[in-house]
Formats: sequence, C-alpha cells, structure tokens
Amino acid sequence: MTVLPLLLQAEAPTPNLLQPEGGMVIWVTIVFLIALWILWRYAWGPISDALEERETRIADSMQQAEKALDEARRIQADNQRARREAEQEGQRILREAREEAERLRSEELQETRERIKEMREQAQEEISREKQSALDELRAEVADLAIDAAERILGEALDQSRHRKLVENMIEDLPKN
Amino acid sequence: MSRLSRSAFCAAVFGLFLLMMAPPQAAADSIEGDPDAIGYAANGFYLDLMPIAKMELPRILLTRHQDGLSFDVYGSTKAALESGLYTLFDGEGNELSEADIEYAIGESKHYYFPMGAADGAVIVDLSISKHLLAVFLSAILLVIIGLQLGARYRKGIGREEAPKGAWQNTRELMILYIRDEIAKPSIGDKYRRYMPFLLTVFFFILIGNLLGLVPWGITATSNIMVTGTLAAFTFLITQFSGTKDYWLHIFNPPGVPWYVKPFLVPAEVIGMFTKPLALAFRLFGNMVSGKLVIVSVLGLIFIFSAQFGVGIGLGASLISVPVTLFVWVLKFAISFIQAYVFTILSALFIGMALQEHDHEHHEEEPDPHEALLEQADPYVPGDGVPEHSKPQPQPSV
Repeated sequence: MTVLPLLLQAEAPTPNLLQPEGGMVIWVTIVFLIALWILWRYAWGPISDALEERETRIADSMQQAEKALDEARRIQADNQRARREAEQEGQRILREAREEAERLRSEELQETRERIKEMREQAQEEISREKQSALDELRAEVADLAIDAAERILGEALDQSRHRKLVENMIEDLPKN
Repeated sequence: MSRLSRSAFCAAVFGLFLLMMAPPQAAADSIEGDPDAIGYAANGFYLDLMPIAKMELPRILLTRHQDGLSFDVYGSTKAALESGLYTLFDGEGNELSEADIEYAIGESKHYYFPMGAADGAVIVDLSISKHLLAVFLSAILLVIIGLQLGARYRKGIGREEAPKGAWQNTRELMILYIRDEIAKPSIGDKYRRYMPFLLTVFFFILIGNLLGLVPWGITATSNIMVTGTLAAFTFLITQFSGTKDYWLHIFNPPGVPWYVKPFLVPAEVIGMFTKPLALAFRLFGNMVSGKLVIVSVLGLIFIFSAQFGVGIGLGASLISVPVTLFVWVLKFAISFIQAYVFTILSALFIGMALQEHDHEHHEEEPDPHEALLEQADPYVPGDGVPEHSKPQPQPSV
C-alpha cells in the first residue's frame, strides 16, 4: 500500500489524438503499397479489363444486332418486292398466254370457217357448172331427140334451124329442172 | 440543393458532437489513470476487449542504445519494461521510478504511459498499435475481397457473362461508380492510370471506416497518421502528375498583374499542401468524432448512474441507446460518404494537376459573361481573370 502515493505523483498524460507517430506512417505506407500492388496486379487490373471488355462487347453486340436487324429488314423488303414482282410477272405471263391462246383459237376458227366457206363455194360452183353442162347436154340431146322424133312423125324434114328454134322455145316453156 | 443538405447534415453532426463532448471531458478527471473518451479514440498499445480481456500488443522499436542501434521486438509493453532497456515517462516527460513502473504493471496501467529507452533514444516506434492492427485488418480484408472479386472476373463471371449475386454486383457497382462518376469526370482521358490508386484508397478507407462500427471495432481511419499517409499519397501523385501548366500556374500565374504575383505565388504554394492536409483532417475528424460521440453518449449512462444513482442511469439509457443507434446509422452513412469524398477530392486534385490550359483558345471563345462585360465597357481588358481563380467544380465538405 505504500507505493500508491508514488503512483499518484505520476499522472498518466492525457492521450493526444494528434500524436505524431513515425512508425505508423512507415507501416501504413508499406501496407498501403503492398495492398495497392497486389490489388493492381490481381484485382483492379483484371476487373477493369473485364469490365471494359464486357462493355465493348455489349456495345458491339448491340451495334451488330442493330445492323443485323437493318439487314434483315432490308432483306425482307427485298424479298417482298421480289415476290410482288414475281407475282406480277406470273400474272402477266398467264394473261399473255391466255390472250395468245384465245387469239390462236379464234384465228384457227376463222381460218376453218373460211376454208369451209371456200370449199362450199367451190363445191357449189362445181355443182352449178356440172348442172349447166348437164343441162346444156340434156338440152342438145332433147332437141336432137325431139327433132328426130318429129321427123319420124311428120316424115318430112323440116328446116333444121327452124325446128331447133321451135324446140328450144318449147324447152324454155318447160318447167325448170 | 445537395450542397445545402450536406452542410446542414455536417452542422447537425457537429452540433451533436459539441453537445456530447462536455460531460465526459468534465468526468475524465474523476476516472483516475483510465482513458477517457479521448483515450478510447486515441491510439494505444493494447486491445480493449472488455469485459473479456485487455490484451497487450507487441512492441517493435528501433532504438539507439549506448552500445549502438538495435531492433528490439517484445511481445508486450510489459516485456519491454521488464527487459530493463525501456522505461515509462509521465505527462511532463519525467522518468517514472522503478516502484511506480512496477505498480503500474501490477495494476495493468503501464500502457497508458509513453514508453522510452532507458539508455538512449527510440528512433522509430514500429509497434503494432491498435490503430495499426486495424490498418492491417482493413488491408487484409481489402486484399481478400479484392482478390476474390478479381478471381471471379478472371474466371469469366462478369467478363463473358453477367456478374452473379448481390455481393459481386455491389462491389462492381462501387468500382463502376468510382470509374464513371469520380475518375472519368474529374481526371479526364488519363483516368485509367489513376484507377488502381483511387479504388484502393476508396475501399481501404471504406473498410477501415466500417471496421470501427463492429463491436470492439477499431477505426483505422480515426488516426491522423493513417489519413495523413493516405493524403500524402494523393499529394505525391498530384505533384508527380503535374503538367507544365500546373507548375506555371503555381509559380508564375498567367494573366495576373506582376504586383499581385508575390502574394499569389505563396498562396498557391501553401494551397499545394493545404489541399491534402484538409483531406487528412476531414477524414480523421469525421471518424474520430463519430467514435467520440458514441462513447460519450453511452458514457452518459454510467456517469449518470455514478452521479445520481442507478435509476437515473437506467433512465439515461432510454435516451442514450436510441441516440447511439442513430449516431451509429449516421456513422454508417458517413463511412461511405467520407470514403467517397476522399476519393473524389483526390481525383479532383489529380485532375487539376493534369489540366492543360489553352490561353489562345480561351480568347478565341470568350464566355458569354465576358462578352457582355466587354460590350458594356470597351475598356475592360478581355482576360483579367486568372484561370485558376475561376470557380472549379469542387464539392465543399
């Protein structure tokens, strides 16, 4: 108990918040530099690189997607136009073919009709010509026969030409055909 | 708006600080030999893990003894004293007597006294003090967290695919914030070179701040030597990054009349040092004040119960505990804010040193304000305002 008054003489100094401590500075410098180096090498460096890589990749992908979308739109538009053109082309060809066919058919029909008409006319002509010649022949025959018969009946020869005239008149008076 | 609310916030914290400072200071004298609130916040060579234990920390000293320089390592202050090579001093710098030292060791109060060499002078005290322990812990945590994150990105998580989980996203968010909101706008194109420093300093301060918020936590950043060293890094980086224009603006400010220069140059030179100094003191002050406020407000409970009885003490706890919780939440916010402030100011100082001013360009494109002035009075010289005295984007915290 005798030491107690001794200690009371030695008052502990009030702690100083602004105490200069050289050792702290040295330690903190060392610790901070080591931490900085390790983190620079193994953390901040790779992380920053990774983040930048990721960002550029995302930006690139977005740009590419945008581009691809534009490309797709363009291709789609192209396709649509091509399809429309093809459709129109097809319709045109179909229409032309149909017209052609129609034209051909009507032409042929016309031709056939004309040929038939021509043939009929030829036939009629032939018929009438034949009929005429037959009539002429018949007429001559009939006249001869008549004269012959008349000569026989009358026994007298009549003037040839006069008789013929007579007969012809008679034939004329005959009903046609 | 944010500046206003921030200063209001600071004023509130400061007011609280003033309010709470008085009682423990007055009470300090009654707690004989034991540390008061200031002692609790100050550095020391012991760990206060009460009520479990008080633990002494190793002493490492580079000392010039009578027989030359020696590097002495002891497990504790007690061991150093028992070796006979070291002794204790009181507040006035007087050596304590053998009996006093013995008594102090017996009462476990020897670590409240400064220790010195018995037969020479301590050149540098490299002891693992409690704040240094917090620095080590913060740095180790920082390195672990950083390496773990780095490994994830190297593996491809966050590189080839999206970052996974809240923990990675939180850290990435902070890194991106520092890069996009602090480094890029403050430093400019050359921000990449300074990113590792800014990131390390930000996370180191943040972890150091947050470590002070856990039970028995020690705030590494509440030591002026720690914040001073960090600010010194900013200072050195700033000076070594300084362009020709930066030095020209300090030692020969352009666009200033010659008779102003003798006043301006010293001011600029002083400014070189006050900027990082303010950086150090701001962080230190914020952190130590939080520490003091918490210990003071909680201390009120014990002061009241000692002075007026246990009942009053219990009553005081009804106020003290919610106030402590509130201050704790504030400190949590301040931990982030101060880490951010230190980082952005460092970035701004570096950015200012990197700036290259183009004077011809400036005259070609006068700002509208000056153009108006010239219109109003044709005799006003075009460039009467020195570049650096124009308002710089600088948050006032």
